[in-house]
Amino acid sequence: MAAGPNRRDVITGGAAALGLFLVGGQKVWATPSEAVARGFTPQILTNAQLQALTSLSDHLVPGSAKSGIGAYIDAQLAAGTESLLMAKYVGVPVEQQTAFYSAALNAVMNALKEGSVEAVAANMATDTVSDWQGPPASYVFFLLRADALDVTYGPEAGFADLGIPYSAHIRPETTW
Amino acid sequence: MTTSAPDTVIVGAGAAGLLLAARLAEAGESVVVLEAGPERSTQDMISSQIWARKLKWSGAAVEETGTHPVGHAFNAGSGTGGSAAHHYGVWLRLHPEDFKVHNKYKRSLDWPLAYEDLQPYYDRIQDSVGLSGDHTAEVWRPPGTPYPMPPLPIFAQGRVLERGFQATGRRTAPLPLAINSIPRNGRAPCQFDGWCDAGCPIGALANPLVTSLPKALDAGVEIRYGAQALRVLRDSTRAETIRAVEYVQQGKRHQLTAKRFVIAAFTVQTSRILLNSREDKQVAPGNRYDQLGRYLTTHPAGTIFGLFDDETTPHLGVSGGQLLCHDDYDDKDQSGGFGSSQWLIANAIKPHDLLGYGTSRPDVTGAALRPWLQRAAKHLANMTLVVEDISSPDNRVTLSDARDDTGMPIAHTHHDIAPEVASRWQQRIDEGEAIFRAAGATEVWHGPRVAMHIMGGTVMGTDEATSVTDKFGRIHDTDNLYVSGPSLFPSSGAVNPTFTLSALAERQADHLLGLPLTTAPAP
Repeated sequence: MAAGPNRRDVITGGAAALGLFLVGGQKVWATPSEAVARGFTPQILTNAQLQALTSLSDHLVPGSAKSGIGAYIDAQLAAGTESLLMAKYVGVPVEQQTAFYSAALNAVMNALKEGSVEAVAANMATDTVSDWQGPPASYVFFLLRADALDVTYGPEAGFADLGIPYSAHIRPETTW
Repeated sequence: MTTSAPDTVIVGAGAAGLLLAARLAEAGESVVVLEAGPERSTQDMISSQIWARKLKWSGAAVEETGTHPVGHAFNAGSGTGGSAAHHYGVWLRLHPEDFKVHNKYKRSLDWPLAYEDLQPYYDRIQDSVGLSGDHTAEVWRPPGTPYPMPPLPIFAQGRVLERGFQATGRRTAPLPLAINSIPRNGRAPCQFDGWCDAGCPIGALANPLVTSLPKALDAGVEIRYGAQALRVLRDSTRAETIRAVEYVQQGKRHQLTAKRFVIAAFTVQTSRILLNSREDKQVAPGNRYDQLGRYLTTHPAGTIFGLFDDETTPHLGVSGGQLLCHDDYDDKDQSGGFGSSQWLIANAIKPHDLLGYGTSRPDVTGAALRPWLQRAAKHLANMTLVVEDISSPDNRVTLSDARDDTGMPIAHTHHDIAPEVASRWQQRIDEGEAIFRAAGATEVWHGPRVAMHIMGGTVMGTDEATSVTDKFGRIHDTDNLYVSGPSLFPSSGAVNPTFTLSALAERQADHLLGLPLTTAPAP
């Protein structure tokens, strides 16, 4: 098996995408879950958007709030062209992700004012949210659920929770 | 850095570009490679599906329209190795019938060469790169020398799915892979941990970082990174001769002259660079008959998933799969649609990411999710369908009105799926679900139709009115401008393209070096 990489070099190549969070007015290296626990300040999303995101995600993928879904998405959006969000695979280029997530989360936020998270999620899945203003609701549902899976079950701890050996050739420096 | 004009400038440090660079430089030519992406080493191949996304396309956005968009962001790569840096090492030969689809079925295009013309180069590449497989079990395999390494082992997931193929009267064989099953040529054997999509830092999988790149560097090839090619420039006194390539590096424009130019920037960007080479009084190279960018193809693909009572350990193995079935490959015009198809069986799979099983079931949420994932982690199986596309002139790459940071127009791709191909895809998906049930699955579902691999746009042919290059990849209306890579494919077949594009590049190198070409005897 290969020796470990120079992780600092890798991190320098895409700093904002890889765990740099604003905490107490200073930028610190942390995992998304650590950033949430330390009360990070979002750089892109509003607090209201963050709250809506966290609420819906934790319903779709329980544990994703604690895993740091809000910090993860905010940091990836702050990374600009270095964003690693899965959205780029399915029709949302990195240049458009901030606008996409902002519109999507505003729509989620408005929907949550009218109904429970359980009802909003069910209606998003079937594109039946009344007065939905934003990207197609089922598409947003799919992407936010995928992001929540990433941050919850993508790290080594997530694999361990499912009883799967992570078996890295080169380990990620931190959990996501 | 080379200051004098090199013999050859190659645009793109992917599978085709680096193979050609190594061959030409080993023969004594001076070669400069322009790569738009960053320099990468195997140490950048971090075992994480999220990190893996760094290996995918990161250049200018590509606009996509049509009923079956080509999925550029997932299928393309950037930086050293290009898309082959994250490919899965499934190396299969096209079948002889794939080279004459128009002749036999009046669909797609014919290749300007036959299987026998490419067979010696498949054999040569197979030996130099190293393939693992069992040629006797592959009853559908076209003629060729035996694989130099035994196949990779079959794990529980493969054995469970093999039951379904046997129960429905189908045959399987170990999947041939450009992955070491034993130590060979200084490269380690596979450890079966399923991280192929994130690259293979141990060098078991034959990505260009461990095959062509070391040879190219040893032979003196210079690679300029962050160097985005914009266009090629014609000689002012001799229009069929290309004088230079213009590129941007660190915000500055440069022109690099050479005796010969090869555009190997993967399918979409190759067409984009050439289309952007139109000058006031000259059409773009290869475009006198408006053929440049046309016949864009992609493999319609899909995944069958199932849960079993058996333990399947689906994390074990390689991403490309463990077993192969080509029973439905030949005779493209069977009832139910059109086109060849193949099954790549028992892919190693992760719980998340685009191809993960968690992502495949958006209906499972809330308290039900964790126990479902825990069960799937032990009892899930999956396999991948790959279907042939029909080459159509209306599926094409064009230039958008939008521009990137350099001012270069971005690429627009349009790809519709033919109704008979969509029917074939659905037919095979239904058959795949039946195979899973025959294997004992307690629950079966399938993923959406997706685009796998991107080919065409600068297709080879004998007639300039229906193609862009000749059978050696030389652009028809030029004498020193070549294309290499999957953009040359006149038709897609239904097999993964890296073996074929490598064999084509190997043959192209022989031609460029003036070496005698070899052809296998016709069967």
